[in-house]
Amino acid sequence: MQDLLNAATLGSIYLLFTLGMALVWGTIGILNFAHGATFMFSAFIGHVVTKHTELPFLAVIAIAVAVGAVMSTLTQLLAFQPILKRSKNQHAAEMRILIGGIGVAAIPLAIAQRYTRSSPFGFRSSYDAEVYQFLGLRITTTALIIIVTGLAIGIALTVWLRNSRQGLALRAIGVDAETSAGMGVNRPALALGTMAVAGGLAGLAGALLTFHLGAIAPETGDTLLIKAFAIVVLGGLGSMLGTVLGAYILAAAETFVIFMNWGTWVNAVSFGLIFLILLVRPQGLLGRKEVRRT
Amino acid sequence: MSDWYSMNVVLIQTTLTTLLLALSIQVPLRYGVFSFAGVGAFGIGGYTGAMAMVHGEWSTWPAVLLGTLVAGVCTFLLGLVVQRLTGLYMGMATIAFTLIISVLAVNGGDWTGGAMGLYGAIGEITTMHIVLAVLIVVAFLAWTEYGRRGRKVDTVREDPELANALGIDVNGYRRLSFLISGLIGGLAGAITTLLRSTITPSEVNFHLVILALTAIVVGGARSWVGALIGAVIFVWLPTFLSFVQEWEKVAYGFIVAVAAIYLPNGVLGVVKDLWHKSRTRDERARVAVGLQEKS
Repeated sequence: MQDLLNAATLGSIYLLFTLGMALVWGTIGILNFAHGATFMFSAFIGHVVTKHTELPFLAVIAIAVAVGAVMSTLTQLLAFQPILKRSKNQHAAEMRILIGGIGVAAIPLAIAQRYTRSSPFGFRSSYDAEVYQFLGLRITTTALIIIVTGLAIGIALTVWLRNSRQGLALRAIGVDAETSAGMGVNRPALALGTMAVAGGLAGLAGALLTFHLGAIAPETGDTLLIKAFAIVVLGGLGSMLGTVLGAYILAAAETFVIFMNWGTWVNAVSFGLIFLILLVRPQGLLGRKEVRRT
Repeated sequence: MSDWYSMNVVLIQTTLTTLLLALSIQVPLRYGVFSFAGVGAFGIGGYTGAMAMVHGEWSTWPAVLLGTLVAGVCTFLLGLVVQRLTGLYMGMATIAFTLIISVLAVNGGDWTGGAMGLYGAIGEITTMHIVLAVLIVVAFLAWTEYGRRGRKVDTVREDPELANALGIDVNGYRRLSFLISGLIGGLAGAITTLLRSTITPSEVNFHLVILALTAIVVGGARSWVGALIGAVIFVWLPTFLSFVQEWEKVAYGFIVAVAAIYLPNGVLGVVKDLWHKSRTRDERARVAVGLQEKS
């Protein structure tokens, strides 16, 4: 049971991280490789700020969310928009966005590695996690906050995308960008907004994970990125509910592998999952069939 | 000349092995296949070569050959499995393949030396040998870029439907690109490993993918010349600019991002464009003069 609880915490972190990536990729069609760096750098800025002044829990979270949103917006403005403007077709744009994202991601990573000498960093905060005992289960307040926030935001985003006008516009872009633009959808503005939300979610995940573990390493973002990809592929591109399910399934599978004492194989779970799903069911658990040709 | 050579022998060797690695990623890109399996082949080739030397007590060249062949076969089989994927999905599946290789290496026990890596594969490889290997590979690639064959490959990349309609076996070409990529990647891995006498699982990771990709993107993705330009830039830049050394990784990230935005065809593409422009300007000037004289 304790393991299930740990899996739920891990899954919620995965969920918060992946939601942003899945939202951006599933709607405006950008696979943001700098998402992991945004995640890490938001927590890193939190670390630098709290080094000078001690801050309460919510203030650190707010800083991380703001940094994430700003970074993500800047990435969109300075890198992805110029690329989209200069690309002939979808295929070429996809590849250049991927490479551009890799380049952008290398910059904050290098800065953080240089500053911390590649050692893990944490926050200095007035916040103290309390441990609750409940039916023989141990849970910290941080873990509780993570689980609740993850689920709440996951469900809220799913509902919003399904029911709101902006959600409809975003989904329309995901199906056919040109036609939706013809129908009066303001793609650049929506793309910026979506990227900002995604960055904010990455920042939130970064801060929460750092509070939960005490410290994270600068390279954490890279590993998470591949896992997030596995989750999106598993759940199905464009399906927020699929992302929610995928995050918890991956977390459960990884916890199971650790539980069986096969610790060194943990990373193989997500990599193997990518493979398996792409071969057996390329549209994912809940995804729609690929609408785009080739 | 010989002084300069002996001072920079390591850099020269690194340039050549980086070039091989970059080529193993570039070949599938030229065929329109977004595959990073070459880096996984690098790991397979390196480990196979090292294991053949350490456990099988093979000599250098049979070990290199074995590494190359095993990597080629494995990557070809991967190609058969993933060939119906496209675009980003293909990219991520092959990245997953590469990372699985490193997980396998960590869990290989005595065979692969676990997380510490495999030591003591001291091969007898000189710079001449590497130059020879690179020349063979480059000659082969240049042959595939030339004339009819080159145009076929270009069509397969730019417009697969058109290629199919013209009777070109697109899927065959794509499978072939996996085989070539695996062979070159395996060769690069085996040579690099036996040159340094060690290989560790942490070498076969995401950053190796980035290095190879960076070299191609900055140099130019259409021709082996681009990969050469990229490899030279990325191995030699830090030695010329000391301030780059300090902020090396930041500078690299910046260069990659800028290249992705403004130079989709890399340095080679810019050079070709300029050459083309200056040639057509001369031509136009001559035509204009000719017209004036007539009237």
